Amino acid sequence: MKMFYALPMLGAVMISSSLCLSGIAAATDTETAMSDPSNWASQAGDYSNHRHSTLDQINADNVAGLQVAWTMSTGVLRGHEGSPLVIGNTMYIHTPFPNNVYAINLADQTYKWKYEPKQDATVIPVMCCDTVNRGLAFGDGKIFLQQADTTLVALDANTGKVVWTVKNGDPKIGETNTNAPHVFGRVVLTGISGGEFGVHGRMQAYDIATGKLLWKAWSTGPDDQLLVDPKKTMTWTNGKMAPIGKDSSLKTWKGDQWKIGGGTTWGWYAYDPKLNLVYYGSGNPSTWNPNQRPGDNKWSMTIFARDLNTGMAKWVYQMTPHDEWDYDGVNEMVLADVPMNGKTIPALVHFDRNGFGYTMNRVTGELLVAQKFDPNVNWATNVDMKTGRPQVNPKFSPGTTGPDVDVKDICPAALGSKDEQPSSYDPKSGLMFVPTNHVCMTYEPFQIEYTAGQPYVGATLTMYPTPNSHGGMGNFIAWDPAAGKIVWSKAERFSVWSGALTTDGGIAFYGTLEGYLKAVSLKDGKELWKFKTPSGIIGNVFTYVYNGKQYVGVYSGIGGWAGIGMAAGLSEGHEGLGAVGGYKDLAKYTTLGGSLFVFGLPDAAASRTASTGVTPTANPIQ
Amino acid sequence: MRRLESVGMKYKLMVMAVILGPTVLLTAHAADTVDGAAQTTRPPYTVVDGDKVDQKTLDGWKTWRALACERCHGAEQEGLVGPSLVNSLKTLTKEEFHTTVINGRPDKGMPPWGASAMMQKNWEGLYAYLKGRSDGAIKPGHLHPLDSQ
Repeated sequence: MKMFYALPMLGAVMISSSLCLSGIAAATDTETAMSDPSNWASQAGDYSNHRHSTLDQINADNVAGLQVAWTMSTGVLRGHEGSPLVIGNTMYIHTPFPNNVYAINLADQTYKWKYEPKQDATVIPVMCCDTVNRGLAFGDGKIFLQQADTTLVALDANTGKVVWTVKNGDPKIGETNTNAPHVFGRVVLTGISGGEFGVHGRMQAYDIATGKLLWKAWSTGPDDQLLVDPKKTMTWTNGKMAPIGKDSSLKTWKGDQWKIGGGTTWGWYAYDPKLNLVYYGSGNPSTWNPNQRPGDNKWSMTIFARDLNTGMAKWVYQMTPHDEWDYDGVNEMVLADVPMNGKTIPALVHFDRNGFGYTMNRVTGELLVAQKFDPNVNWATNVDMKTGRPQVNPKFSPGTTGPDVDVKDICPAALGSKDEQPSSYDPKSGLMFVPTNHVCMTYEPFQIEYTAGQPYVGATLTMYPTPNSHGGMGNFIAWDPAAGKIVWSKAERFSVWSGALTTDGGIAFYGTLEGYLKAVSLKDGKELWKFKTPSGIIGNVFTYVYNGKQYVGVYSGIGGWAGIGMAAGLSEGHEGLGAVGGYKDLAKYTTLGGSLFVFGLPDAAASRTASTGVTPTANPIQ
Repeated sequence: MRRLESVGMKYKLMVMAVILGPTVLLTAHAADTVDGAAQTTRPPYTVVDGDKVDQKTLDGWKTWRALACERCHGAEQEGLVGPSLVNSLKTLTKEEFHTTVINGRPDKGMPPWGASAMMQKNWEGLYAYLKGRSDGAIKPGHLHPLDSQ
């Protein structure tokens, strides 16, 4: 295939960094801010993607009395993913395209400053199908915004003035951004979106002070562009770690298809300061027609562990070789210390779109656990623990049945048993709390030609609730990452597309597509409280303290891929299955919106907990 | 509200499909006027059994799926982020349709397809396909040539 675009094929950019190893360096302002649970200073609250708060003023005993404290319109009616940040007395909120940023004084909820970028509207069509943005990052006295048009902007946190900007892609060839930038140490990491436009996925690292490019690591291509060492970069091979060898990616693609091979990087990254390793996943190989791209298509669908300073990969693991279903591997990488066989393992836990929950040794990259976190997953029977490869069921393999054939009842659907909506880790119980999808699909691949800047999909899909199940399209589950087992599962009518929050108050919060914010018990999933916001929730729940009082907040504004349910009816073939919770019902519950909701206990209840430390009895306000 | 309407529309379509049955032959001739009374416009497509269509309409459907229109407008044209084309094609003229697909509506997220050779070649077929979907004459999903089994 002829190449149409002129990406700088200069190889990976490696500029020697003058950074100290983080273990030696003093704590950054990001780290200081994150260490105070009064703040919500990064999208996950920490480097490890725990999304857990040690706050317990709001707890299982009093959450029933939670009330709206204040609300704010974002002024934009599209899907609201991510969450605000809170640092000291300021909250920073963001919007979907046009990606406005507002700094709000928590004392009186007035605007301290506004940043309203002017972006070319032609970026919207190449973001199809929604213009989400997963939020801001904080560090070095700056707020970082990753605009849809691929511009990474550093704003002065006090004034909102632009300190520096860099461009990391070209929307004219389908490159856009939806991911949150991530600040790790003195480095700002950002990825790229556009797996449906045949973009060439990579991760970029910028110096936090100047915006200078530190390194760029491609997902597919020659070794020097991948930032791998064929002899030292390891992967799980025949039951042990072994070097990936020379040309590990090139050998798994036909011709130069790797140049338009996808492997985008729009998810949630994590960082271990002790190991100085950053973890993230790559997305689907382009196109969605597997028949057109024989081979394993490495390193799409892969977990990468890279050195923060150099970008060099220490280990990689491809979850879904030769993808046939669009099971992007970008979901959050959760770093947790997991007790296994009498030892504490420094683990990485990952819930993949493909329906398997993985537990790996994050130091070495060894595969420890790979089990289905939705029992209805059927595209693979299991993951072979020796080879690390999924055992694909040919009945649900569009690559086996060939183009122009409708493959029915593949579970999960392309949006995965879980998409970007992040899980939460509760260190006390050692369990993960996971918002999931419970959706299946038919998949018909077809031949497609690549044209720069135009969709490069090549498959037609329909999605519907998992047949012969509870009829709903989602579950909220508790997961044991050591055993690889579901501890409890709470059925939801629609996909749970909102990031979870757990707290030391013994509760988990999550939002639903109907618009409810819910609090459930960590012990058994019992619903303790809910509140109906104006629009469906696809944002992530966050918490903070202001003036001694704990607050919990979330964006309300449906959209994103989850919004696919807003109008999509059941396909003819599935009308008869008696599914009561089809997406078609969603329009009965909600419509587009764009607002921030902040909740707190009534002042009496809050002060009682705060002053005595004694948990009051439930306050039946509602 | 559009979304609510499109769901309602789906039900109507299903009802219509039941009434018409699977073997209705809806061709240019079939749609001609009865007794030379009201001058009904001929539909721009020919369809048999709901899923066998003339070559031009078939090329229109192939353009629909190659350009991934369903990502915004829904697998059954019922509307997602983009509007329901089952509804839109009831009011949109052929000229307006042409302007929209070639120039797009970038502020609303509709790409300009003027640079697509496939769209330039097949836009009339695409119009025919969507008109057939809007009329309820063409079924959602895979289409086949008229002479296929």
